[in-house]
Amino acid sequence: MNYLKEELRNALAAEYVLGTLRGKARLRYQKLMMESQTISETTWMWEQYLNGLGQTVPPVKPPQKVWSLIEQKLGFIDAPATDDNVVSLYRRRSKVWRTFSGVAAAAALVIAVLWGTSIPPEVIAPTHVAVVNDEEAKPLWLIEVSEQMLTVRSTDVLQARADKDYELWMVPANGEAPISLGLLPEGGRWERNTPAILLQPAIAALAVSLEPPGGSPTGAPSEVLYISPLVSV
Amino acid sequence: MEQEQLFPLLCQTADGKREAFAELYEITSPQIYAVVLKMLKRKELAEEATQDAFIKIWHNAGSYQRNKGTVLTWMVSIARYRALDLMRYHSIRNEVVLEDESGPPGDAGEASLPTSEQKKLDECMDELDQQQRQAIHLAYFNGLSHHEVVKHLSSPLGTIKSWIRRGLQSLQRCLSI
Repeated sequence: MNYLKEELRNALAAEYVLGTLRGKARLRYQKLMMESQTISETTWMWEQYLNGLGQTVPPVKPPQKVWSLIEQKLGFIDAPATDDNVVSLYRRRSKVWRTFSGVAAAAALVIAVLWGTSIPPEVIAPTHVAVVNDEEAKPLWLIEVSEQMLTVRSTDVLQARADKDYELWMVPANGEAPISLGLLPEGGRWERNTPAILLQPAIAALAVSLEPPGGSPTGAPSEVLYISPLVSV
Repeated sequence: MEQEQLFPLLCQTADGKREAFAELYEITSPQIYAVVLKMLKRKELAEEATQDAFIKIWHNAGSYQRNKGTVLTWMVSIARYRALDLMRYHSIRNEVVLEDESGPPGDAGEASLPTSEQKKLDECMDELDQQQRQAIHLAYFNGLSHHEVVKHLSSPLGTIKSWIRRGLQSLQRCLSI
């Protein structure tokens, strides 16, 4: 299909902005926008055409808590102690990295013990391991990397969420964008061939993000929850 | 809510000025919240969509360009996309009580003063066939899918799709004159 044909481009952009382009077609269109400047610009034009309609709706003041939550998520103010784990990368990252070294040492120790007791001898020994912990340093996932297999097991501490998925990322040491390694299990064990990128030495850490069902819609982590070192064994 | 007022606030937001962002929120959040509340119906989801939209606005303020529309149009776009995502994640099936074509209120006096662009949009919407306008309104204001519009207007899917497609084409012709 020629997406550059003007009439089709307008029809798709209009229904994307209107919201009637749904499902896989919508996702495909989002991808096309990332690839084509012309398609992005057509979309912007339709946003200008149609979103003036939104301004005819009589305003309704949102509850005060909405602003408080925005301030919390952006790290402008401290979250109350009862706040859930889901905090934006913006404020969590620095906190996570601050406690990084201590957690890394503890993680290596924990994984050494767990690994020693749980892997049958015939399984190829992992070369690297990581433990993804929650805020209270309770392990959520155990990750083992061997030359052939990437194995992830979730622990009982992990609470599955029906409305979200957890996605695993490799954070390159050179500061480039994280690379997705797939969705994490929310129970039981998950195994796949080790992606070649995981066998290179320049890995800063593994990260886990919270995503809409099916994983990140943008190709970048939406909300980083946890960062774990990948240590050699 | 004029572009002249919002644009400097967005520029300062892009520069990391929290006070400007707070002011931008103060001025625009009632409009943003109203749009997503009308689509999502449920307060807690509308609050979530508003919250997510403003977080995105904070992070993406620097990527705004004039050819993406006015600041408010750009913000409404972000919020509507988030609301559409939430509808999908929560599998919301839309039930709309039809009230006067389910469109915007006849009296826009409570909303912000219409700009010349908006007046033009109103005129062009008025020029559409009544059925086309009604189908577009249901999709835009209530976030209905083609199938949901079918249910509300009791016409076959092909007809609804054609009303929307042709309505949008006519709208474009009218707006680009």
